[in-house]
Amino acid sequence: MASTHKVQVNSLPVVEVTTGESKSLLQALEEAGLELNYHCRTGFCGACRCTLTSGQVEYLNEPLAYVRQGEILPCVCIAKSDLSIDH
Amino acid sequence: MRYTTFNQNNVNPLGEPMFFGNPVNVARYDQQRHSIFEKLIEKQLSFFWRPEEVDVSRDRVDFQAMSESEKHIFISNLKYQTLLDSVQGRSPNIAFLPIVSLPELETWIETWSFSETIHSRSYTHILRNLFTDPGPVFDDIVVNEQIRERASDISKYYDDLIFYVQLWQIYGEGTFEINGETHEVSRRILKRKLFLCVNSVNALEAIRFYVSFACTFAFAERELMEGNSKIIRLIARDENLHVTSTQHIINLWQHGDDDPEMKEVAEECREEAFEIFTSAVEQEKKWAGYLFENGSMIGLNKEILCQYVEYIANLRMQAIGFEPHYNQVTNPLPWMNKYLVSDNVQVAPQESEISSYLVGQIDSEVSAGDFGDFDL
Ligand code: FES
Ligand SMILES: [Fe+2]
Ligand SMILES: [Fe+2]
Repeated sequence: MASTHKVQVNSLPVVEVTTGESKSLLQALEEAGLELNYHCRTGFCGACRCTLTSGQVEYLNEPLAYVRQGEILPCVCIAKSDLSIDH
Repeated sequence: MRYTTFNQNNVNPLGEPMFFGNPVNVARYDQQRHSIFEKLIEKQLSFFWRPEEVDVSRDRVDFQAMSESEKHIFISNLKYQTLLDSVQGRSPNIAFLPIVSLPELETWIETWSFSETIHSRSYTHILRNLFTDPGPVFDDIVVNEQIRERASDISKYYDDLIFYVQLWQIYGEGTFEINGETHEVSRRILKRKLFLCVNSVNALEAIRFYVSFACTFAFAERELMEGNSKIIRLIARDENLHVTSTQHIINLWQHGDDDPEMKEVAEECREEAFEIFTSAVEQEKKWAGYLFENGSMIGLNKEILCQYVEYIANLRMQAIGFEPHYNQVTNPLPWMNKYLVSDNVQVAPQESEISSYLVGQIDSEVSAGDFGDFDL
């Protein structure tokens, strides 16, 4: 089930992302033209770590990298609402 | 406290701290205090590979065509990685196993260190293919000044912890004179040494490989030394997992999710931990200088390599709760990422699991292009 949400990264212009079952937020943001840090793209290295300032995400794969309260790993989650994140 | 290989006291592992509690008795994983370590074990096992599966025979021609300065860069990096994995293939076991108290962490340490021995064996595989006699390359590792300088910094925190744990195992707490030197041993002192040691290992896993990785992948960008690059990709994937484990250990302590005394120790030693990290960064930048002292290689120079070290260092520092310390906030070598991706971009669990097992014979007749985005 694909759904569309508005995402703001840092103070960049808001982009629209469509997230499907197997498309991570990282992938969706890249398709929207943004560049984020990444290495493993499977949730264990922590390179893509962001702070979620508002909104909700859902994990496709359980992250193995350490995630503090308020942090997300966009390579293994999808947007569940409009989001605002710091990267 | 004397070490016992099977502690006959009935201890509840769920109530034990990661280190300096009771020695582990039953290797059981049905219940876990910190289940992350069991998950890291599973991940590491799914990454299993053997150097012999990667055909490096074509690299010989590439190597022979390299300039002298490029050969210096390539071989020096292999020597340095050989040093790092020599240390890592034994030290987590020797330093941490005598003091670990959780079965899942004990097994993670063994799994981790075992994977480092695969890395060590792969350097012999690579060098045997490049030289009729790789002996002189290995022999130089213990005499080369640049490598020695790094070796002492890398091993000193391990050695210090190991020595103090040995004293504690034999004599318990107290002040002891050994060969004319006085050593004070207390639980608190041991914990401080452990904290510093884990921070030093964390810095090793987090940044010490990356100058070398960048050079390897810069050769691969020019379609050179591709067998070697395939091996280094597998190593890089493992190292990224190792650093996750040291970050978890440090964060569990810092956030008070393990031993409350370790939280205090982490606060006390924060400054020193910061210095361990930043001095490793400076050493790596110096290493970049040494690599390029005879000339550059296409696609890389000392400055950009130092920027890359700073960029990686920032990410790694944030992961353990430090403010990013360096100005380099963007990735100066964007092409590096495609070599550090652990899997194909699929995130559906079945797919990402399966491709981790797809380590088959790599035929050198197949060109790199045939693989596309397919990961080893
Ligand atoms: S890229 Fe490694 S955790 Fe997201
Ligand atoms: Fe290694
Ligand atoms: Fe490692």
